Amino acid sequence: MKSLDPRVNRLPGFGQGEVQPKAALDQLGTYEVFVQAKEGKPFQHEGIVHASDIELAYILAKETFTRRFTCVSLYVTDTRDVYVSPLSEGQTSAYDLLPAAEVQQGEQEMYEVYHLVKRGKQHVHAGEVSASSPQGAMQVAKQQLGVGKVVYNVWVIRKKAIRYTTDTDKDLWLTLPDKKYRDASDYKAGDKLTAFLEKAKHAV
Amino acid sequence: MNQLAIKELLYKIADDQLILGHRNSEWTGFGPMLEEDIAFSSMAQDKVGHSYAIYQILNKLGEQEPDTVAFMRNANQFHNSQLVELPNCEYDFSLIRHFLYDTAEIIRFEMLSQSTYEPIAELSRKIKGELKYHTLHANTWIKKLGNATEESISRLQNSLEKALPYALGLFEESPYEKELTAEGIFEGEASLEKRWRQKVEELLNQTQLQLPDWNSVSPVIGGRLGKHTEHLQPLLDEMSEVFRIDPGAEW
Repeated sequence: MKSLDPRVNRLPGFGQGEVQPKAALDQLGTYEVFVQAKEGKPFQHEGIVHASDIELAYILAKETFTRRFTCVSLYVTDTRDVYVSPLSEGQTSAYDLLPAAEVQQGEQEMYEVYHLVKRGKQHVHAGEVSASSPQGAMQVAKQQLGVGKVVYNVWVIRKKAIRYTTDTDKDLWLTLPDKKYRDASDYKAGDKLTAFLEKAKHAV
Repeated sequence: MNQLAIKELLYKIADDQLILGHRNSEWTGFGPMLEEDIAFSSMAQDKVGHSYAIYQILNKLGEQEPDTVAFMRNANQFHNSQLVELPNCEYDFSLIRHFLYDTAEIIRFEMLSQSTYEPIAELSRKIKGELKYHTLHANTWIKKLGNATEESISRLQNSLEKALPYALGLFEESPYEKELTAEGIFEGEASLEKRWRQKVEELLNQTQLQLPDWNSVSPVIGGRLGKHTEHLQPLLDEMSEVFRIDPGAEW
């Protein structure tokens, strides 16, 4: 029986065999996590989780990124569903680095648009647009959301590829507030150390 | 209200939460993947938090301080079910226990949110979101692994068969069932067990796991009266090791 533990399957077998390329790692895929800290605030990219499917990704993202009161809503999408523009720097906007626009035909879909407005910060939700492809969504976003702005990187994600927080999920963030022992700040170690050292000094 | 009955009820719930919270926290740093390690550890902390909240209610009813209650009792003074004290074994057993236990836990607190005893009703309403997450987490994994590979299914099946007799021990009746029901404090273990069985069946029917005939499973009871396996005392010794060095220390 093949083990479920990928580390076991990575161990080389013994005995004779062919010369072969190293096998790809047997690992779970990644999902991008977007978090809304407060009602009315925009969502922002918070990080990545590994998971076997989008539902599990949602569940693992909840505890990985939003354990305590830092969140009212989150959503996840497969990393491969995030379309990324070129990266710009200085006064150049990433929108100006996009390849020349072509008129797109086809069924329109809604896309979430994320902007990176400061290098080193997270991508923040900028709005949504309707388009028939991710490339088309970038072009529409350029006109509707990018005019007169310096944006260093743009992401677009098809809304249908996103696992959103539904109204019935909202109470996941209702939690017991009285858990200060989980915070390092609740242990006033400095004060106690000082008191202990004082006591030790007098004892000598 | 019947204080003895309330105390008995609160102790068994709090002890279950504390012991399973501690048990599950033993996975911290050893979980099958980082994200799951974080989630499982976080839920373990939630459980310890629930026990703390209930020990505080007990403290107001005249019982000792929460820390004293948690760390200074011996195994035969604990009222937890034997299910929660069993060693973690491998992750499949921990997941099955998590599923069986948390399914009962959320129904128990749902029932208690209607309790005429306001402190427990209020707490039950407060922790609703956490419990919902716990069952969402458990159900998702069980559905996933209960339909995945030959290994995952057979592992869960073995663990299910091992855990079920102990899980039924969760519903060991209290000497005060009648009083609790009559005063509207708690609907009772029998009613809880009935609803739990339905939920367990409903979920397992969505997997390739086989639920044994309920009549063929004999409950392992005694935990509520302080009768425990040999696994509880070592857990308590380890959990209270630091506290017992200096019980008067301020943290």
